[in-house]
Amino acid sequence: MMGKEIEREIKILFSDAVIDSTEKNRLKIRIKKDLAIYLLEFLKSRGFNYLVAISCVDWIKEGEFELVYQIGKIDDPLRIMVKTRISRDRAEFKSAINVYKNAQTYEREIHELFGIRFEGNPRLIPLFLENWNDIPPFRKDFDTRKYVKETFEGIPTLEESK
Amino acid sequence: MSRRELELYFGPQHIGMVGNFSITLSVEGDTIVEARANPGYLHRGFEKLMEYRNWVQNFPMVCRMNVVEPDSMEMVYAMAVEKLAEIDVPERAQYIRTIVLELSRLASHLFGCWAYANMLGLDTVAQWAMAYRDFILDLFEELMGGRVYHIYICPGGVRRDLPQGFEDKVMNFLKALGNHVPEFDAAFFNNRLFYERAKGIGKISREEAIELGATGQVLRAVGLQYDIRKIEPYAAYANVNFDVPTREDGDAYSRIWVIRDEMLQSASIIMQCLEKLPQGKVYKRTPNPFKWNIPAGDAYVRVESSRGELGLYLVSDGGNKPYRVHFRTPSFMHGIPILEKLLRGANISDVGNIMISLYVVAPEIDR
Repeated sequence: MMGKEIEREIKILFSDAVIDSTEKNRLKIRIKKDLAIYLLEFLKSRGFNYLVAISCVDWIKEGEFELVYQIGKIDDPLRIMVKTRISRDRAEFKSAINVYKNAQTYEREIHELFGIRFEGNPRLIPLFLENWNDIPPFRKDFDTRKYVKETFEGIPTLEESK
Repeated sequence: MSRRELELYFGPQHIGMVGNFSITLSVEGDTIVEARANPGYLHRGFEKLMEYRNWVQNFPMVCRMNVVEPDSMEMVYAMAVEKLAEIDVPERAQYIRTIVLELSRLASHLFGCWAYANMLGLDTVAQWAMAYRDFILDLFEELMGGRVYHIYICPGGVRRDLPQGFEDKVMNFLKALGNHVPEFDAAFFNNRLFYERAKGIGKISREEAIELGATGQVLRAVGLQYDIRKIEPYAAYANVNFDVPTREDGDAYSRIWVIRDEMLQSASIIMQCLEKLPQGKVYKRTPNPFKWNIPAGDAYVRVESSRGELGLYLVSDGGNKPYRVHFRTPSFMHGIPILEKLLRGANISDVGNIMISLYVVAPEIDR
């Protein structure tokens, strides 16, 4: 019920948005990157005050990163997925930290693993990795097997180091 | 940093730390001025490694993201694959899944009680809790062949049916645990020591909890009846009756009490499932894993793990491997922003207390 109402409002306010509501309790919205933060602000003003997660997908063939914001409400089963795409060459996006406070940690993770800079996020310091100077490891062009071979086969075995 | 402040490393080698995790504290006297969570000791890059393996090969990976409660991890992954591949699961399998999930919730909560009681120095209670957890692990071993990691829930159902006499063993265990509840209460939950040590510690308000992405007992301890088993029922949860226990204060005392009440609800759910357990097949045949291509698409599925909302965003590009896997684990939010927030202004001696009451599990943060 709530889903239909919010869908209609989004269609009026954000006419470019592509909305998919075929799945039960899920609303998938694809929107241009310039409007994504405004859409998040609008959703928050309509009571969707809970940011569940931010996921990032590397669509290397299209040369784009897709950011997926999962938005919800505490007492509503409806989950809204806001998807937006940014260019892989200019991996920069606006931070959602002013809308949802906990976006900070998710953006920090994406910054480390995908190398996307979030403008306005004050604390994009490394989260998991230490002294990392390769390309961000979760990008599709990072080859884990090659990395393991180069890093660990260079370490001599006990016999060799004698 | 002023000259009166001191930097203190809490973990990963620290007696009060539960797992491979560390916090850097700035302290002034005994008071924490600032805390920075420092995860990464268990970062194995599972989400990336899963992109190299096919849909079924990933099961031994997902369970390793949460050592204490691996079944909810398997469940969420199986649900996502079933959703993308449009597989429906036999009724009996759904009931068995519910029983397994609730048993593992019990095991996880008992583990939590062990950690909390141990931290308070109530070792007797800690050993009781650990012993009962071990009985659950025995049941798991009989059912699935493994004690800690099970790899039992698979797309389309569960791997095998219950062994003969298993229902009675589960019932006997629940009766034994139920008979022990008064002693647990007397020695731990109603213990004055527990009250004095936990009341008012790590207090979070309702607004802050929502703002910082809290789930599970952290939300239920501020009075919100938020439980995915109720809001969006999966497995057989729609067919059983249970309550969602809540508390109002939002401190460590409330969180541990919510856990205690939840264990009673879990036991009731298991009994109802055993009673209603339908006959029939326990799995639906899926294609050869090496030739199994799942149509392109994406799905967000979620379950209520013992720590809170466990979500999975799974993307398929039409191939025989996932294109992208992203787990939304409850400890990621509880262990970084919320922990940092609650530690600010707290006493050094409460660090372990706050961390254990938030139920932070390090492998879930790092993945």
